[in-house]
Amino acid sequence: MTDLDVTEPTPPVEAPVDDRPGPSGFSPSPQGWFARVVVLIVIFGGVFWVTASVKGFWAARISLAVIFAIIGLSLNVVLGYLGQLSLGHQAFVGISAFVAAFYVTKSAHCTTDSCSIGSFLIAVVIAALAGAVAAGILGLVALRIRGLYLALITLAYGFVAERSLFEIPALTNGGAGQPAPRPDGFVGDHAFAYLCFIFLAIVLFIDWRLLRSKVGRAILSIKQSDAVAATYGINVTAYKVLAFMMSGLFAGIAGALFAFHETNVVSNNFNFSNSLLWVLMVVVGGLGRRTGVVIGSAFFALFPYLITIYSGFNNFFKDTFHRDPNYITLVIGPLLAVLTIIQFPGGIAEQISPITRWLSGKRFTKHPDGGHATGEPKSGKRGLFKRRSQNGAEPEAAEPSKELVGSTEGSDA
Amino acid sequence: MRTAIVCAAIAAICALILILGAGDQTGPNAFVVIGISQGAIYGLLAIGLVLVYKGARVFNFAQGEFGTLAAFTLYLFNRQYGLPYWVGVIAAVVITVLIGLAMERVVVRPLLEKPRVTLLVATIAFALLAIGFEFVIFLPELKNLEPIVHGQGITIFTYILDPQHLIIIGVLLALAVILGFFFSRTDLGLAILGTSQDAFATRVVGIGIDRISPFIWGSAAFLGAIAGILYVPTTNLVPGVVTLYVLIPAFTAAVLGGMTSLPGAFVGGVAVGLIQALSQWASGHYSIGDKLLQGYLPDIPDVVLLIALLTILLARPQGLLGTEA
Repeated sequence: MTDLDVTEPTPPVEAPVDDRPGPSGFSPSPQGWFARVVVLIVIFGGVFWVTASVKGFWAARISLAVIFAIIGLSLNVVLGYLGQLSLGHQAFVGISAFVAAFYVTKSAHCTTDSCSIGSFLIAVVIAALAGAVAAGILGLVALRIRGLYLALITLAYGFVAERSLFEIPALTNGGAGQPAPRPDGFVGDHAFAYLCFIFLAIVLFIDWRLLRSKVGRAILSIKQSDAVAATYGINVTAYKVLAFMMSGLFAGIAGALFAFHETNVVSNNFNFSNSLLWVLMVVVGGLGRRTGVVIGSAFFALFPYLITIYSGFNNFFKDTFHRDPNYITLVIGPLLAVLTIIQFPGGIAEQISPITRWLSGKRFTKHPDGGHATGEPKSGKRGLFKRRSQNGAEPEAAEPSKELVGSTEGSDA
Repeated sequence: MRTAIVCAAIAAICALILILGAGDQTGPNAFVVIGISQGAIYGLLAIGLVLVYKGARVFNFAQGEFGTLAAFTLYLFNRQYGLPYWVGVIAAVVITVLIGLAMERVVVRPLLEKPRVTLLVATIAFALLAIGFEFVIFLPELKNLEPIVHGQGITIFTYILDPQHLIIIGVLLALAVILGFFFSRTDLGLAILGTSQDAFATRVVGIGIDRISPFIWGSAAFLGAIAGILYVPTTNLVPGVVTLYVLIPAFTAAVLGGMTSLPGAFVGGVAVGLIQALSQWASGHYSIGDKLLQGYLPDIPDVVLLIALLTILLARPQGLLGTEA
């Protein structure tokens, strides 16, 4: 954390005040509201229709996409709101997945034939708490260690969880995996997908209320500078740990759902390249923007399957390169992430911001200040091969919303 | 001075263990040798990490991938095309350095003025991209790479130390000395240190960061390539092998040594290797009740490594040998 970073304007995640409908702002006409409601209904109805009409294995993939979205939202709390990098998220997801599976088989005595919805809900709650505790421990570490060094700690933490904790014989049933039967009524893939959607809605609601509250504002201010936040009387210690626990809570919910999605939890599901990919999907989605994060995460979960739909592509790949088309997905994800970081720092959220802004009752524009900046060249965007400006103050200040990760950097731990 | 004290302390601990365990077949003696030879590999990768940190103040998560890419290039030229080994080595080093330069131009340069965490995420993305390409091109099959020289190796305390390990230790020592000289005595080395501390101020005195930055990443790729070529023959060649097995211990080694200290990377590497090997020995030697320690908790060496990393960062963030710059 240097003085330079404090002066850099990072955009508020929520829209600025003068953007809200009111006497000074813009408010759509009744027809405008009607159009917006229709579009929203079409979007949500479309998702529902797709989920209902696809075959079972596609429903399973959709529920995986929803689980990824929850994981993305969980990472977003730490990375997007608090500005700290967690490379060990598979630890929290994995711990809670094992806890949930352990609870339903060992304590609730569920079998594949019968498992009450009550014990499922208890398992999710316990798993969420386990995730919160596991992340809270890391939050305590984050009080002393920040930035790059914290990223390193989280990486090692995830690595240890993967190699050591998830290999404990008692936990993994001697390597065979811990069974996690789905609750009665939700055994089918379609029903389970709806269940996942419900939990995504709950997580989105908590996330939205959290960010709009005092807690959310405190966390965002800590991202800017914890020294400045402290001078405003914000309890930096408590809110940092709280943000980590919140992230762990979401990861716990995702982990529990993941356990029931897989119905058998093995340590292979939580290797560390997974958690690196999760970081990338949040970055591609757009840090600190929950709509973008959900879309980005769902995309990362689905595109390995989506590209195999089109058989022409499959055949082209097999005939030309003699490779399984699945391997190409290993390249596409990181490539998108590199592109996002360099050229489109706002991620998907930035690209679709006119749509989301319009849907929330504002103008269809990329610029939250109501179109004053339209027509001006995008000075903040820097081309790949353009030379860097010698005048350091010019580019960044013009367009504020180009910061990927916040300023709480702490290059000296 | 501190370097000498820390080295002496580590040597004394090793000597003590060796003397106490002398003649004991199940004792830790062989593990001391394993630890030092493993630690040399960690140190080799850690030197590249330290170089990038000194030059750009960022943790380079792609450092391990430089090694894997070099190993795959060597495999391609040596095993697949049947060219002589030394041709493969030269091609591997050259291609990896070119990849490093390309990474600097495309990924690092646009992000130089962004927060370091952004650059860190970019290096992660680049590493995953490299792993993805390795999967696409070489498929996830086990491959083997020839060692530089075939030979008997020497047996120390029942453990056979093959020539590759001896070469690794030698190369590491040489690199630590050369780079230490480079950063403290030459103009270019001092210029690199300057840009890492205050890019704006160095520009004021006429050192262009556009000149320095390719040099840093090119040398990092060079060091990574050497590490990969030397390390991979001691194990199997699979996509992402160096990142998976060496990167985290190497980071721990670099942090232990102080992140900015080149001798520190070497000392830290050996220390991490020893910590891992000895905890490996202890977890298979001691038991609670009727079960060995590793029966309760698998992979104790990595747990000990995390504890060591946490302890050093909480208690002494500047590391054993770290100084500012």
